[in-house]
Amino acid sequence: MKNSFDEKILDEAQDWINANQKVVLATVIQTWGSSPRQVGSRMIVNEKGDFSGSVSGGCVESAVVSECLSLIKDNKPCKKIEFKVSNESAWEVGLACGGEIAVYIEQIH
Amino acid sequence: MKIKTLEEILKKKSSKTEFAILTNLENGDSEIYLPGTSPKGEFSKYADEIENLFKSKKNGVIENSEIFVETYIKPIKVIIVGAVHIAQYLVDFAKSLNFEISIIDPRGYFASEQRFPEIKVINKWPKEAFEEIEINSSTALIALTHDPKIDDPALQYALKNKFYYIGALGSKKTHENRCQRLAEAGFSNDEINSIHGPIGIKLGGKSAPEIALSIIAQLVSQTYKK
Repeated sequence: MKNSFDEKILDEAQDWINANQKVVLATVIQTWGSSPRQVGSRMIVNEKGDFSGSVSGGCVESAVVSECLSLIKDNKPCKKIEFKVSNESAWEVGLACGGEIAVYIEQIH
Repeated sequence: MKIKTLEEILKKKSSKTEFAILTNLENGDSEIYLPGTSPKGEFSKYADEIENLFKSKKNGVIENSEIFVETYIKPIKVIIVGAVHIAQYLVDFAKSLNFEISIIDPRGYFASEQRFPEIKVINKWPKEAFEEIEINSSTALIALTHDPKIDDPALQYALKNKFYYIGALGSKKTHENRCQRLAEAGFSNDEINSIHGPIGIKLGGKSAPEIALSIIAQLVSQTYKK
């Protein structure tokens, strides 16, 4: 039933594109254990690092933003990122809730 | 994702079409899938898996593949009877939840565009108004006038057409009388008991936005029981 309560992130993505911004779309594609946002949750990031939407409860958004900025800088089409509690950077970006998520980021071009 | 694909997704969403987005996570290719059609190109060998995910209205990566499927279904349709103060707050909440709202009120001074900008307001009696609304299994009714002349025909229509959520505003006494009338009209106890009355979950609030919040909370919880 998720889509009944859709968050209109894609509409916002189009507004940003119409304003000539480079936009990267981040989507939760897999989750394991307890994770705050379900599969299909979305977030968008532009080249300035502005973002809207979410892929977790605030745990990994900053890391997703920097990954998205690298994607724009290196001009790569897409990338899959996994976040686990056991990540070395757990203190900074790990999921405090103990879950794991895979986030797919892609440029809208 | 191509800008063209994004535009097509938004077009499909605004025309309330059911579809899925297929993404190849390896190379970034994405495509729109319509139910009843065969997925094209590189997605064609996963046709069965895609159809199954779509049918179960699920999002996910197909096992042993790099194909991600995200399904989009029709939004919940909410019909509000009574263009009253509470309805104005319901519209606010419903916007962020992406419900599709129609309001019915035969009383012209309530059903004005100025009170409900950008909302489909039908200034007719329920019987005629329902002829203008397409209904499906994801339709809900919120009756707010507590006037039997207006609410009762709408409630009867919703019961007959098996709306998944039916709620009616009014005190316990008002609701008892309403149930009595519906029984006299030939509705079964099960049907009558399926109406949420007095409407809303118990929050304790009495103001219009608080009542609207309690109604929306009940509607969302019933949507997940569907």
